[in-house]
Amino acid sequence: MQAVQSPQRSSAPVVFPRVGMLTSERWLIGVHVMSALFALSIGILMGPFQTFRRAPAFVQAFPDWQIPVFSYYYQALTMHGVMNALFFTTFFIVGFSYFVTQRSLQRPINQTMGWIAFVLMFIGLGLILYAIWTNQANVLYTFYSPMLAHPTFYLGLVLLAVGSWVAGAAIFMAYIAWKKEHPGERVPLAVFAILVNQIMWQICTLGVAIEILVLLLPASLGFLFVTDVQVGRALFWFFGHPLVYFWLIPAYVSWYTMLPTQAGGKLFSDSLGRVAFLMLLIFSLPVGVHHLYADPGVSAVSKGIHTVLTFVVAIPSFMTAFNVGASLEYAARKRGARGPLSWLFHQKWGDPVVVAQLGGMILFIMGGFSGLINASLTLNIALHNTAWIPGHFHMTLGGAVTLTYIGITYWLLPMLRGRALYSDKMALAQVWTWVVGMLIFGHGMGTAGIAGAPRRTDLGAVPYLNDTMIFWLNSSAIGGFVLLISSILLYVNIVGTLAFSTKPYDYEPPIAHRGDPNSPLWLERWGLWIGITLFLILIAWAPVFVESLNFVDGFNAPFFDPARPSPITP
Amino acid sequence: MHIDELERYWLIAVSVTLGVFTAALLASVFIFGVRLPSPVGRIDPTNLENTEFAEPGLRDMGDGQYTAHIVAQMWNFMPREIRVPVGSEVLFNVTSRDITHGFFIEAHNANLMLLPGQIAQVRVTFDRPGEFHIICHEYCGPGHQNMFGVIIVEDPATAGITE
Repeated sequence: MQAVQSPQRSSAPVVFPRVGMLTSERWLIGVHVMSALFALSIGILMGPFQTFRRAPAFVQAFPDWQIPVFSYYYQALTMHGVMNALFFTTFFIVGFSYFVTQRSLQRPINQTMGWIAFVLMFIGLGLILYAIWTNQANVLYTFYSPMLAHPTFYLGLVLLAVGSWVAGAAIFMAYIAWKKEHPGERVPLAVFAILVNQIMWQICTLGVAIEILVLLLPASLGFLFVTDVQVGRALFWFFGHPLVYFWLIPAYVSWYTMLPTQAGGKLFSDSLGRVAFLMLLIFSLPVGVHHLYADPGVSAVSKGIHTVLTFVVAIPSFMTAFNVGASLEYAARKRGARGPLSWLFHQKWGDPVVVAQLGGMILFIMGGFSGLINASLTLNIALHNTAWIPGHFHMTLGGAVTLTYIGITYWLLPMLRGRALYSDKMALAQVWTWVVGMLIFGHGMGTAGIAGAPRRTDLGAVPYLNDTMIFWLNSSAIGGFVLLISSILLYVNIVGTLAFSTKPYDYEPPIAHRGDPNSPLWLERWGLWIGITLFLILIAWAPVFVESLNFVDGFNAPFFDPARPSPITP
Repeated sequence: MHIDELERYWLIAVSVTLGVFTAALLASVFIFGVRLPSPVGRIDPTNLENTEFAEPGLRDMGDGQYTAHIVAQMWNFMPREIRVPVGSEVLFNVTSRDITHGFFIEAHNANLMLLPGQIAQVRVTFDRPGEFHIICHEYCGPGHQNMFGVIIVEDPATAGITE
C-alpha cells in the first residue's frame, strides 16, 4: 500500500500510484462515495416496502403492517426519491468525477474547493434528512408548488446544488490548467464526458435554482404567498430532464472508457463517443416539455417541438449501444468467440464489475424503448402519471445507472479501503437478483399502469382498483421482495469489504491517461457547443415561459401545506 | 473523422426508425385527430365562486352533447359522480381549487394535469356502458389515494333510464 501525502498547493507534478491511492485522494473520494452509499441505504430500503404497501394481497394479509421508521407512505416515498435520485447520485457523480479527472489528467483538483463543495452538500443532506424525518417535507422529490415544505428542505437542496457547482468549477479549473500544459492534445474521453456532464449540470440547475430561490424558499420562509404553478413546473422540468442525463453520463463514462478494458478489449470508436456526449449536451436541455404533455398551460406546438428533439436525444444512446456493443464483441472475439452472435455469451460472467454493467444494459434496453413510448406525445396520453412511468425510470435510473454505479463501487470501494472486495460471489448474486427483481417490478408497474393504476399513490386499499391492476401490483411486490434481497446482499458486501476483508487488491483503476490522437480537435471547441446549446434552449423554452407566465393577473395561486386543505395566508 | 461502414448503416437505420416514429405521431394528430391538452384559459383559483365553476356539474347541450364542469380539490372531485347515456360526447372543463391534481378517466385516453390557475379541457366519447373511475393521478397530500370520481355510462335499453 502506498500512502503518500499529496502537497496541498504545489506546482510540482503529483504522481498517482498505479495500484493504491494517495491519502488526499482516498479521503476526498472516500467521503463522497460513503455519503452516496449512506443516502442510497436509506432510499433503497424504502423501495421494496412501498411495493408491499401498494400490493392489495399484502395489505389484506398484513393490514397492520407499516413501513419501518417512515410509517407514512408519502414520507417514505419522498425519502426514496430524494435520497436515491438526488443525493446518492450527486455524491457519487461528484466523487467519481473527481477520481476520473485527477487520474486521467494526472493532476489533483483544487483540494480546498473539493472539500468546500463536500461540506456544503453534506450539510444539505443533514438538513433535508431532518425535514423529511420530522414529517415536514412530504412533497416528494419533485416538490411541485403550491405545496410547501419546511425551509430546511429547500435549503438542503440549495446547498446540494451550490456544492455541486463548486465541484464542477474545480473540475473545469483542472481541465483548463491541463490544457495549457498540453496544447494540441486530446483530452481523455472520460474527462471529455465529465466536462460535458458538468457544463450541462451548471446550465440546467439554473431552472430549479430560480424555482427554489425565487418561489419556494421565500414562500416557505413566509415572505411570499402566491405563485404560478405552471411556471414552477416548467422551471422544474427545465432541470428535471437534463438531471437524468447527469445520472446517465457517468454510467456511459464507465461503459465507454472502462468496460472495454474490463471486458478484455478496447473501445471501438473514441471520436463517435465524443460526438455522442456532445449530442447529450446539446439535446438534453430542449426536451423537458415531454414531462408536461398533460399540462393545460403549454401549447401543443411546444409539446411537438420537444417531442422531436426528444427523439434526437435518443440517437446518442443508440450510438452508444453500437459503440459499446462493438467493443464487447471485439473483446469476446479476442477470447475466441466465433459465430455471429456467440460473442454475446462470451463475456466475463464471473466478474461482478463487468456483469453489473451488462445487467444495467439489459435493463436499459427496456428503459430506452419505454422512454421512446413516453416521448411520443399522443401515446403519452394513455400513460402519463400512471405506474408505467416509475416502471420506466426504474429501468433507466434504477437499472442502467444504479447497477453501473454499483459495478464501479465494486472496484472503487476496495481501492478506497485498500482491501479486495469481500465476496465476488455475493456481488454476482446481488447483480442478478437486481436484474431479475427490477424486471419483475418494472413489468408489474408497467402493466398495472396501462390498466390505469396511478403512480405515487398508496394503492394497497383503494376502492378503484380493477383485477388487472391488483394482479400486477401484487406481481411488482414480488419484484420488490427480490430487490430487497439484492439490497441486503449489496450492503453486506459493502460492510464486509470495509470491515472484514483481509485480502489485498492488485488491480490498476481502468483509467486512460490520453485521448485518441485521431479524434478531431474541433470536438473540444466548447464555446461553440455551449453556444448551440443556449440557442436551442432559447428556441425551445422561451415560448413555454412566455405562454406560462400570466402577464395580466400575475401570480394568483396560494401555497398549501400538503396535509391541510386550506391556503397558507399572511 | 472516421466512421465505420457498419456504424454508418446503424445510424441511418436509427434515423429512419425515429423518422417513422415522428411521422406516426404527426399522423396521430393530423389524420386521426388525437388532441393534447392545450391552453384554453386561466382562472383565479381563489375566486371560483364567480366563474363558470361556481356550480360544477353536467349540462346537457342536446343532441348527445354534454359539458361537464369539475372542480378538483383536496381530496375529492366535485361532482363525484356523473351519469351519461351511451354514445354521449362530454366536454370536460376541469380546474383545481388548491394544489396540483390529476384527472385520468379509466379506459378513455383522458389524461390531464390540473393546476390551480389553469382550466384544463378534454373531449371524451363514451360509447360503451359501464362505470369508469376518474382517478387523481398526482400526489396531493394524505388523502390522495381516496380522491376519485365515477362516470356511469348507462345503456338506456337495459337500465330503463332516460334523461
